[in-house]
Amino acid sequence: MIPLAGFRMAAYVRSHRVYQALLLALALLAILYGSRAPKGEEASVLTDGAVLIVPVLAWAARSLLDTEPDRQREMSAIQAGGRGREVAAGLVAAFTACAGLAAIALGWALLLGVSATPPPGVLLAVIALYVLTALAGTVLGALTSRAIVRSPAASIMAMLLGFLATLLVSTSPLYWLTVPLIPWMRAASAGDLLGRFPGLAALSLLWCLIGLAGYVLRRLRTS
Amino acid sequence: MYADLPILTFPPCSLMRFLITTMRRRLYRYSTMRLSHVSFRYRRRDPLVIEDADAELAPGDVIELTGVNGAGKSTLLRLLAGLARPTAGTITGRPSVVGFAPDRFPTAQPFTVTHYLRHMSRVRGGTRWEPWAERLDMGHLLGLPLGELSKGSAHKVGLVQALMAEPGLLVLDEPFAGLDADTREALPAIATEVAARGGIVIAGDHQGGLRSLPGVRHWTLISGHLKEHTPDTHAAHDHAATAGGPPAVAVRRSLEDVAGGPSECRHATVAVTLPAVDVQRFLTRMRGEGYRAREIEETS
Repeated sequence: MIPLAGFRMAAYVRSHRVYQALLLALALLAILYGSRAPKGEEASVLTDGAVLIVPVLAWAARSLLDTEPDRQREMSAIQAGGRGREVAAGLVAAFTACAGLAAIALGWALLLGVSATPPPGVLLAVIALYVLTALAGTVLGALTSRAIVRSPAASIMAMLLGFLATLLVSTSPLYWLTVPLIPWMRAASAGDLLGRFPGLAALSLLWCLIGLAGYVLRRLRTS
Repeated sequence: MYADLPILTFPPCSLMRFLITTMRRRLYRYSTMRLSHVSFRYRRRDPLVIEDADAELAPGDVIELTGVNGAGKSTLLRLLAGLARPTAGTITGRPSVVGFAPDRFPTAQPFTVTHYLRHMSRVRGGTRWEPWAERLDMGHLLGLPLGELSKGSAHKVGLVQALMAEPGLLVLDEPFAGLDADTREALPAIATEVAARGGIVIAGDHQGGLRSLPGVRHWTLISGHLKEHTPDTHAAHDHAATAGGPPAVAVRRSLEDVAGGPSECRHATVAVTLPAVDVQRFLTRMRGEGYRAREIEETS
């Protein structure tokens, strides 16, 4: 599985598709952190960055998964010893790409976006949030990749509308019906990131795992 | 150093025994694969592409699958390879290592041939691909990007990735399409080798490239129904194919065979590849058993 994930990462990089998401992420970060946030707003700024980078990560995951031609995906499944391993390898590769971009985003935010280093507890919570962000981006990208949505136009629309729907639902009292992006931002803005972290992290993880399960089941069922 | 090919002349029944003995030597590694009432449709309300197919594929089998365009050959091959699940019925006993060479190799990938095959080798656990590349005469292609390959060259890459891991089931979709003459000649011998170590070879093939192999089973898909030709029917096909088929194959029936006559009197000519140092001993042994055997040429 790991060599196949490496193969897909290599294809993503060698095809130069990686630059699409990377340039988009860098442009977004340059705008977001054009000026440093005042002291004391570290948690809020870092959390906002984590939420806003989600569609870029989803783009990266979708792009990575779509780099491989459909026929090669079939051959890879046979080479790896089954469709399940091929699906897992794709997800590992997509998550790796998303985690790399999320790390760049976090590093940029810490270096250029805040005026002081956040307290250790907040920093750990923010790091965990960026990991969850990478996972959410992977799931959204996977669910809108070509193996699930054949039409490129429908796929990109589904990805953007999926992100917008997540934002809208998470602003409502029914925020628990999706990955709670807005509640993360509100909690950080209210200075209650650590207090609400366990509940929001559990909810985020749950929806990511449900999304992953849906992707895996769909891929295995359509094989 | 290998000597290419002492010529041996056998009565066909002895030829079959010789090959079967050789082929079955290592069959213990694999079990029989079975298709039981297999049907397949792509979507719920679509018509069945494959309908109620029953078949057994034993270790050592070489199977040629034919049918008109759209008959479902590629679908059946995908089912056998495990790329699709039957809508109804079961497929059991599939060997753990499967090699699959598609009819069109996907060249839209950002790798050279070498990089691609190295990656595939790692995915397969580090199997060696270089001997296969050498055998299919791909030395001049290794540095080329996949996107610059001709159809036949790309097809060779597909064959190498399918063969590199010693598959227990080798699935070839239109394996002769676009190949050069040398590779067309080599492919039946490769199929025989896979079968000889107990693998199953099945090829969806319009061009009859495997027809002249002894013991090849012949499947046909007609309107989604899988039928197997009887040996007699197949023999007739075989002779017709030999007359107009590929110019040379690894195992050929001789002109005496094509001409007909009582089966006990007919002869067949087979080609055997073996280390040069063993040639004289092998020829002596064959002559001692009453076969006409002679050396053709020595290759380095």
